[in-house]
Amino acid sequence: MEIYVKVFATLRKKYPDINDLNPLKIEIESGISVSQIIVKLGYALTEIHLILLNGKKVDSETLIEEEESILSLFPPVGGG
Amino acid sequence: MNKWLKVNLATNEMKDFFVLEETLRKFIGGKGLAVYFLWEYATGLEEKGVVIKDIDPLSPENMLIFATGPVTGTKSPNSGRHHVMSLKSPLTGSIGSGNTGGNWGAKLKFTGYDGIMIIDKAEKPTYLSIIDGKAELHDATEIWGKNSVETSSFLRKKHDRKRAGISCIGQAGENLVPMAVIMNEEHRAAGRTGLGAVMGSKKLKAIIVEGDNKPKIAKQEEFESKVKEHVEKLKENPVTGQGLPEYGTAVLVNIINQNGLFPTHNWQKGVHKEAEKISGETLTEQYLINKHPCWGCVVACGRKSRVDSGNYKITYTEGPEYESIWALGGSTGINDMTAVIRANHYCDILGMDPISVGSTIAAAMELNEKGLIPEEDLQGMNLEFGNSDVVVELTWMAAFRQGFGYWIGEGSKRMCQHYGNPDLSMAVKGLEMPAYDPRGAKGIGLNYATANRGGCHVTGYTIAAEILGDVDRFTVEGKAELTKIFQDFTSLVNSSVNCLFLTFALGLDEYVEMLEPITGWEFTADELLETGERITNLERMLINKLGFTGKDDTLPKRLLNEQMPEGPSEGQTVDLETMKAEYYELRGWVDGIPSPEKIQELGLD
Repeated sequence: MEIYVKVFATLRKKYPDINDLNPLKIEIESGISVSQIIVKLGYALTEIHLILLNGKKVDSETLIEEEESILSLFPPVGGG
Repeated sequence: MNKWLKVNLATNEMKDFFVLEETLRKFIGGKGLAVYFLWEYATGLEEKGVVIKDIDPLSPENMLIFATGPVTGTKSPNSGRHHVMSLKSPLTGSIGSGNTGGNWGAKLKFTGYDGIMIIDKAEKPTYLSIIDGKAELHDATEIWGKNSVETSSFLRKKHDRKRAGISCIGQAGENLVPMAVIMNEEHRAAGRTGLGAVMGSKKLKAIIVEGDNKPKIAKQEEFESKVKEHVEKLKENPVTGQGLPEYGTAVLVNIINQNGLFPTHNWQKGVHKEAEKISGETLTEQYLINKHPCWGCVVACGRKSRVDSGNYKITYTEGPEYESIWALGGSTGINDMTAVIRANHYCDILGMDPISVGSTIAAAMELNEKGLIPEEDLQGMNLEFGNSDVVVELTWMAAFRQGFGYWIGEGSKRMCQHYGNPDLSMAVKGLEMPAYDPRGAKGIGLNYATANRGGCHVTGYTIAAEILGDVDRFTVEGKAELTKIFQDFTSLVNSSVNCLFLTFALGLDEYVEMLEPITGWEFTADELLETGERITNLERMLINKLGFTGKDDTLPKRLLNEQMPEGPSEGQTVDLETMKAEYYELRGWVDGIPSPEKIQELGLD
């Protein structure tokens, strides 16, 4: 099945053209975990601080089962 | 150390005074000491029969204070900041308060003064210089009417001091616009509650400072070893070592938007569909020239930026910060970063608070959407959400109180009251709220409601825990305690005075490690947190004198009653009363007023 991945801040160094308006479309098997996708994309799990699946905060062991899910990945960020 | 300057602008009298060690131990410096001075001043006025809450914020009776703290200007990282306060804000009627980066705080310290207290009002435009230990007042007629950049260059040239620190007002402050700021380093601002208008009402255009008095450190060796450790911690921390240096504060645009609490269309929604175009990543890729750290900063979140083409081409400016991008861009529903940069530039040079400017324009857009602004008031101006040109135009007009710009400068509370729908003002105690919708992070709602200066995020930045950390953002449980701790710790940081961003990497224990060797006094972490609590409470007692109580600790009705219509925070409202009751209980407050027992416990009786 197909899902969409968005990466932000320093994670864009690996995928400079991927953003909120231009997500990365990838083909996955239903039921694989977020952590497997993170590794497949070439990131270390320690680089990822916040994971949103369809806008909801999840952990890296969450399984992706819904077609056309949107996975958003963030490194640690702050500001104010 | 510990020397202050008191300036009476009516008599031109200037005298030094010193603060008792007992007072410093209780209030540290910076904001804490400023609150203490304002309290003493207000109490003195009351003894003369003055009703504090009836004082006109723009009258000579208002007091203006510039304060550094024991950490300011030392080798401790990120210590170039200072705090500015006034007894009353012309925007809100509550206390006036703003904390700013740049270098002015450190440079004031190098003059040998820890702070300046300004009273009364000058007859004609005036500026103050403190150079090589000598304080002098000068005629400022020739710079009255100049913007902050022009004023700063003029004074550096006139005094032949290329590296002097300059705090000044732009035209907005001169024109007594209630959301005017006090600028320093051209692009840094004591940015909220209209302190620039207070300075303008006193006809004080600028303060130029330079000297070579290095702050004294009680235990030099221990201090230097701790500085080294703290710098390492800041560099190793992914937020202060990587996220903030790489993208600045604007990195938050996408993360807050993706979580569905990026208020847009005057808080009618929490997701901006084209936020990517005004994000920190876009700023870095397309408009960034370089970073611009404040004095002594090891993080360097400040941005030097430019726009190379288009209507809003500009060769050099700074920022914009996350909050400015949100207010001028997100809240107004625009997607043109060049317009945001231009409007933010106008706020800097003319001296206005971009949060209040952008939020008030957004409120005007909603008033217009609902047909509440008569056509003759707009004179053909297109106030639709998403119109970037009108945001830039109104920002300029607000500083000069021209046409409909008059109402933008007055702030959303007065404007929405004038046009018959006060509920469209997204403000608390008259201060426009910043860039996080509390329907998507409940703790920040409690903080907005209870912050002494009004709708403010940096009084208690619970977003660090609720969005950037692991605390459940939607629950109200535990948010009272979270908010209280954030608020009291922040009071300590603003009294020290150094940068709040340090707290992403450094905690109370590190503040003990900073303050002990500098002052030579012993503290525990708990004592320092109690000091923060003391300062928060005395500030609260002061706003009680100004007429603010529990009824004012609230949020706009939209956040309490209207469910977030879409996105990741869909369906949420804020159950403020539950959090507030628990918060008052923890604080020892009754209806927003510290109880006699709490006042005694904190040594404030």
